[in-house]
Amino acid sequence: MTDPGAALDPARVQRILASFAPATDRLQVAVVDAAGFPIARSTVHPGSPGDGMAPDADLMLDINCAGGLVGRLMASGPATTDPTVVSALDALAAGLGEMAEADYRSLAPELAQARLAQRSFVSLRGPVVPGYDLANHYEAAREIGGDFFELFQIHRRRRPVGIVIADVTGKGIAAGMLMAFARPVIHAALDASRGPADALERTNRILVDEIRSGLFITAIAGVLDVTTGRLRMANAGHESPLIVPGDDGPISAVEGGGVLLGAFRSLGAPELDIQLRPGDCLVLYTDGVTDAVGPSGDRFGEPRLLTTLEAARRGSALDIVAALRDAVADFRGSVPPADDVTIVVIGRHRT
Amino acid sequence: MALQITTEHVEGRVPITVVALDGELDASNFERLIEEVRGLYDAGDRTLLLDLSGLTFMASSGLVALHGIVLVMHGDEPPDLEGGWSAFHALTNAVAGGERQAEVQLCGTQPAVTRVLERTGLDRLFVSHPDRATAIAAI
Repeated sequence: MTDPGAALDPARVQRILASFAPATDRLQVAVVDAAGFPIARSTVHPGSPGDGMAPDADLMLDINCAGGLVGRLMASGPATTDPTVVSALDALAAGLGEMAEADYRSLAPELAQARLAQRSFVSLRGPVVPGYDLANHYEAAREIGGDFFELFQIHRRRRPVGIVIADVTGKGIAAGMLMAFARPVIHAALDASRGPADALERTNRILVDEIRSGLFITAIAGVLDVTTGRLRMANAGHESPLIVPGDDGPISAVEGGGVLLGAFRSLGAPELDIQLRPGDCLVLYTDGVTDAVGPSGDRFGEPRLLTTLEAARRGSALDIVAALRDAVADFRGSVPPADDVTIVVIGRHRT
Repeated sequence: MALQITTEHVEGRVPITVVALDGELDASNFERLIEEVRGLYDAGDRTLLLDLSGLTFMASSGLVALHGIVLVMHGDEPPDLEGGWSAFHALTNAVAGGERQAEVQLCGTQPAVTRVLERTGLDRLFVSHPDRATAIAAI
C-alpha cells in the first residue's frame, strides 16, 4: 500500500491543469487519485466539454510517487492521437509524480515525528482512584488523527477526577495541532471552572476567538466525586456516553448536549448530573469505534457496540475495554483503521 | 466508502446548482467535496442545493466540508483568513438570532446524516428541504 503521506494535492494539480491547457473539444484532461476519484480537470465547469471523463479516456497515464501509484492522468478527445500532445501529457504525468514525490520527501520525517508527538499527548495511564477501575484504549490511525482523552485528579478538596474525551474533526497535521492546543485548555478550564459545562463554554470561547482552523472539536468533560459517585458531565457535540448499570438494568445513553466546540459563540450544553452507583460503568468512546469499516464496507455502528457491551458487562472496566477493542479489531479484519479509536471505561466497585 | 459527486444546473427563481452526494462522506473525500464547490464558486455559481438523499453516512470530517462549503459560497475564504472568519462569526451570530444563510441549502437528508447534524448543532446553519423538487420550488 502506498504511504498515505504520498498523495497528489488536488488544489495544486487543478492549478497546474488549468495552466496546462484549457478544455476544448479536441482535448480534455483530468486527474484521478489512486482510488480513481477525480481530483482535477482541465475544464472549469461541469457540463462543459471534459465533464464526462474516465473511464472512457483515450489515454491513461500512471502518476507514481514513493514507489506507488498516487493517481492517473486521463485524456480524451481527437488531440490525443497527436504525438506532440502525447509527449506533453507524458511529461505532465511525470511532473505531477515528481511534485508529489518532493512533497512526500520533505514531509515524511516530519509526519513520523508528529505522529510520535501526538501519541505522547495522550495520557495512557490515568490516576489510581480507590474504589474505581479506570481503563482505556487508544489506537491512532496511520494518519495523524485528533482524538484525545485525559483522566486526572483535580486539585480541589475531595480530589475529584477530571474526565475528558474529545475528537478533532478532520485529519492530518492541522487536526493534530488543534488537539495539542485544545487539550491543556480543556484541562485547565476543568481545573479552574465551576463545573464541566462552564469548562467547555470557556474552552469554546477561546477556540472561537483565537483559533481559525476551520476544524471543530466534539468533547465530553466530566467531574467525578469519587466519594459519592456523583458525576457531572457536559457534552459538546460528542457521541453520548453510555451507562452500564451494575444491577443488570438496560444500558442507557446519557442524552443531552450542546453544539460542537469552535463553531458557535455559545454551546448551550446543559450540565448532566448522574449518579454512578456501586457496580455501574460509564463508557465513553469516539466515532472511530462506531465508524470502523469492515471488509464488506459495513460500519461497526451502535447496535454492535451495544451487543458487545451487553456481552461484556459482568467484567471489570478493563474487561469491557478489551472486549470492545477486540470486537472492533475483529470486525475491521484486514482493513486499516481510518480514524483514531478511543475507549474509556470508568467502573465503580461493587463494594 | 466511495463518494459520488454529481452536479446539475437548474433554473428556479434564481439559477441553482444542485450538487448530489451519493455514498459516504468521510475523511478520505471531504476535501474533494470542498474543492468541487470551490470550482463551482469560481465559475460563478452562487446558490447551492446539496441533495443528500443518496448520502448514507457522514463522518465528523463531513462537518468540516459543510462548514467549508458555506465559507466558499460566501466568498469568505482564505487568502483573506481574518475576513473569512469574521464573516463566519457574523454568520453564526445571525444564526443565533434565528436566521440561516441561504447560499447553501440541504435536501433529502437521511436519518443517519440528520443525527450527526443535530448532535453537533451544524443543522442550525442550514435551511433543509424534504426533497429536491420542494427545495427548487422554495429557493
